[in-house]
Amino acid sequence: MTRDPVSITCTDLTLRFPVYGADAKSLKKALARVVAVGGALGRHAGVTDVTALQSVNLRLKAGDRLGLIGHNGSGKTTLLRALSGAYEPDEGTIEVHGRIAALLDLGLGIDPTATGLENIRLRGRIAGLTAREVEERMEEITTFTGLGPFLAMPVKTYSAGMQARLAFAAATAVEADVLLMDEWIAVGDAEFQRLAHKRLLKLVERAGILVLATHEVPLLKLYCNKVMRLDGGVASEIVDIRKLDELLAA
Amino acid sequence: MQTATHMLRTGRHGALFQLQMAVRDLRNSFGRIGLAWSLAWHDVGSRYRGSILGPFWITLSMGLMVLGIGFLYANLFGIALNVFLPYVALGIVFFGVITGTVTEGCDTFVKAAGMLSQTSLPMFTFVWRTIFRNLINLAHHLVIVVAVLAYYGYWRSADIPLALIGIALMVVNAGWLSLLAGIASARFRDIPQIVASVMQFAIFVTPVFWLPDRFGDNHAVLQFNPFYHLLQAVRAPLMDKAVEPGSYVVLVTMAVVGWALTFAVFARTRRRIVHYL
Repeated sequence: MTRDPVSITCTDLTLRFPVYGADAKSLKKALARVVAVGGALGRHAGVTDVTALQSVNLRLKAGDRLGLIGHNGSGKTTLLRALSGAYEPDEGTIEVHGRIAALLDLGLGIDPTATGLENIRLRGRIAGLTAREVEERMEEITTFTGLGPFLAMPVKTYSAGMQARLAFAAATAVEADVLLMDEWIAVGDAEFQRLAHKRLLKLVERAGILVLATHEVPLLKLYCNKVMRLDGGVASEIVDIRKLDELLAA
Repeated sequence: MQTATHMLRTGRHGALFQLQMAVRDLRNSFGRIGLAWSLAWHDVGSRYRGSILGPFWITLSMGLMVLGIGFLYANLFGIALNVFLPYVALGIVFFGVITGTVTEGCDTFVKAAGMLSQTSLPMFTFVWRTIFRNLINLAHHLVIVVAVLAYYGYWRSADIPLALIGIALMVVNAGWLSLLAGIASARFRDIPQIVASVMQFAIFVTPVFWLPDRFGDNHAVLQFNPFYHLLQAVRAPLMDKAVEPGSYVVLVTMAVVGWALTFAVFARTRRRIVHYL
């Protein structure tokens, strides 16, 4: 197997979402449409397309920490999900060399009825660790959660802060070359936030590339060295973090 | 920093390309088959979490149902218990594999929405999860099958290898039905209701609770019922009866045509499934 440098490349990436309204999901409506229009099904069955990303070009190499900025609905999360491999482009290509870890939703794979320990195992398995690797990391993860004996209790008995601690510890136990993060995950009390910050920095250091979507300027300045702005699915040039103010003003 | 992990997603279209991608999804899912097992076990565990008997409830509730229906119908139809009870036990247990796999197939992608929209996990991983979960259930039910066959002495004449072939054919056929139901249910939320109704009807129209000889062997209700063939291929060898060669023809044809059709649908809808959810 050939080994390549860690990198992310997007060329003319265009993503369109078909919006299947509450109506379109009902078979009755779909059938009624076929019957009524009589063969006009080719008109895409009344499904509307929303263009979420429009010809995005992106090239990142190891050491790049890209901050994504833009209004709500500008396509930041969509871009992150596309980079995670969940979405397939309608046009263009996405190419990622390296192990990808997407910390988009801390609650991913968390089962509230299962115990904390079970959830850590499950989350690790989903992230691509083998059962053995999970066991090897178990002690480190459990220590980090600081939940002690509570780990043997179902997650539904946890407070919101405790749940966040667990999810955060489990989600960040992965080894990745490419780290995708949606918003800065500010969780827990002040003490935990300090620990979380340290852990994230370490993760970011280990990871070759970080792509972070956030609205918070201080965080951008703290973690990122490059910035890109999205407006209605159209991406700006990637600029150095020092030009952030110009980009924000634009 | 060097790496061997590579992900490429392109906006290429075309039937051949989509087929290649579907095959790749399938191949990747085999590479991570352990994850599907873990998820399936987790599902079984969480369903009975907090109960004193745990997954043993799977066995117990099935046992009670088999005994109840066995005694009741044996009296009702005037059939000897040593014929009818094993017959019903095998019928309910193995028909349950079909119903379970197909009806739970409706949730395969819907329940995996979170994972599918932020990871590059293969879609087939979740198909295996549904199938494995039902196989784990079956393993719990096998206790009853073995007990009944042993108690009524069928174990001496049972043709186990032939029955295993029957189980394999059953799982392969339930598999494509499950995947097809999963794709359709993701797109149209009425499908799970339809599938549930059809499967409920199927359990009564198929000789699960009643003996087929009341119809005569070549009756249309039996011959044109795929579920009858599926069930016969497992039940007959265990009860010292012959499986008609015709049944195997039906089952193999169904498996091949069914998987070809379903895989084509999968190849065509694969990139869209995540948007359906």
